[in-house]
Amino acid sequence: MDVALSKNGARALRVFFALIVAFLYAPIVILLVFSFNDSDIPAFPLSGFTLRWYHDFLVNADLRAALQRSAVIAAATSVGAVVLGVLASVALARRRFRGKAAVAALLLSPLVIPYVVFGISLLLLFHTIGIANGLPTVVIGHIVITLPYTILVLVPRLEQIDASLEEAAYDLGAGRLRTFRSITLPLILPAVVSAFLIAFTTSFDEYAVASFVVGTSPTFPIYLYSALRFPSQLPQVIAVAVVVLVVSLLLVASAELGRRIAERRTPLGDVF
Amino acid sequence: MPLAWLGVFFVAPIAIVAAYSFDVFTLFPGPHGFTISGWRSVVDNHVYLRLFWKSVEMSLIVSVLIVLLAYPVAYYLALSGTKRKYILLLLLIAPFLTSYLLRVLAWKVILGSQGVVNTFLFWTGIRSPDDPVTQLLYSRFAVILVLGYIWLPFVALPIFVSLESLDRRLLEAASDLGASRLRSFWAITLPLSLPGVVAAFFFVFVPTLGEFVTPSLVGGASGYMYGNQIVDLFGAGFPDWETGSVLALFLIGVVVVLTVVFSRFLQPQQVAAD
Repeated sequence: MDVALSKNGARALRVFFALIVAFLYAPIVILLVFSFNDSDIPAFPLSGFTLRWYHDFLVNADLRAALQRSAVIAAATSVGAVVLGVLASVALARRRFRGKAAVAALLLSPLVIPYVVFGISLLLLFHTIGIANGLPTVVIGHIVITLPYTILVLVPRLEQIDASLEEAAYDLGAGRLRTFRSITLPLILPAVVSAFLIAFTTSFDEYAVASFVVGTSPTFPIYLYSALRFPSQLPQVIAVAVVVLVVSLLLVASAELGRRIAERRTPLGDVF
Repeated sequence: MPLAWLGVFFVAPIAIVAAYSFDVFTLFPGPHGFTISGWRSVVDNHVYLRLFWKSVEMSLIVSVLIVLLAYPVAYYLALSGTKRKYILLLLLIAPFLTSYLLRVLAWKVILGSQGVVNTFLFWTGIRSPDDPVTQLLYSRFAVILVLGYIWLPFVALPIFVSLESLDRRLLEAASDLGASRLRSFWAITLPLSLPGVVAAFFFVFVPTLGEFVTPSLVGGASGYMYGNQIVDLFGAGFPDWETGSVLALFLIGVVVVLTVVFSRFLQPQQVAAD
């Protein structure tokens, strides 16, 4: 006998689970269907198959420029956030210092700040010290909000690594930097990669903070947001949406697959 | 260095907001100095407070509703003994890892008065085209539905983690001692998974409380939230940075209090799991 679930209970929960998954994926499927629909407005009845919308967005220069901007911002953000995240995580995991709890709380506090408030604060800061808004200001904001995610990924990994490996390196005469480069970094590399990916995807998709400090050249989410207000562009935007959603779902699936393969290969894998 | 970064670009900006809220800085040049008049006018003005409570109410509905929906899902994954639980968990969470705006877009397409649901109803003859279901989009309902849709996969995660770490031997012992499954659930499973439930609730309630993107896209007038008010006070129309700063600081204050109250339930590792 199963102590957690009766047979009927398990069956009911399985149905419930399927319903929830259907609810989560139905909107995505509906977008997929209408991205091929040959009509200016997404509405029933369906009126024939077309690839027109995909073609439209591929030749839309504004949209491509926005995608490019977001990619640049996301790349700069993830590098900055990972560098700062590694520094902070090593300090949190390896060093002992006074006020550590307070430091940790400050480092993680961007997790809970409402983005609307943070966006406005940045706007006021740049306004007060006279920096023009633009891509660099977005990167600055995005590094702040992605930093805690990198720390949350890196610290547990650092804590799993035996600190005596690093001590051994010191004993053998290696300096701080050398030890970090040849011992610590290779060992935390998987976590560094996932921190990088999390920062990249968060930044790429971030609208709220960016909307306050982006200036005049829109990033991809900001372009999307304004396109949502003009129905004439809707079918194109739906086509973009499908591409982005499918690509990100594939990325998630392949990251998981890659992790499973890596887990089988390295003995350290099972501690993830 | 990370601290310096946060000091300059996180703490300092908030301090500047505080300065604006006390009129130490102002948008327009002119005589100014430290004053609490901005705060007083907000407290006296019931419009803002009422809007705040409305947002609290909406966020509460969203968070409670989806925690209730996510619990059975997480329970199924963690305790039914299915072998594919991690793949199913990934299936559940994957939508959360895709674009936020695009998932809002999907609902805009579905709910509009000329949208998928309505035209489907016209097409099948259930409703006449002159009489679309207009409450679907630009309403409080739409905001709650879309926010729930967006956060549902995410809340399942901490609940799943806490249920997964549950020691099944406790349930076996209870069963040996003659407790029914329902009784074991109330006496063992639920209390032990409570930290996960509370964490899930917190991580939805806090961001939805300050939400402004979803309400501005699908909320219309009746779905207008506190976050929208803050944005509008800094907007192009009639900027009032002093009042806006007061509202923003107030929201931070609320979030800080909530974080302190909930902090004993929050284990950062649970977030890291995603």
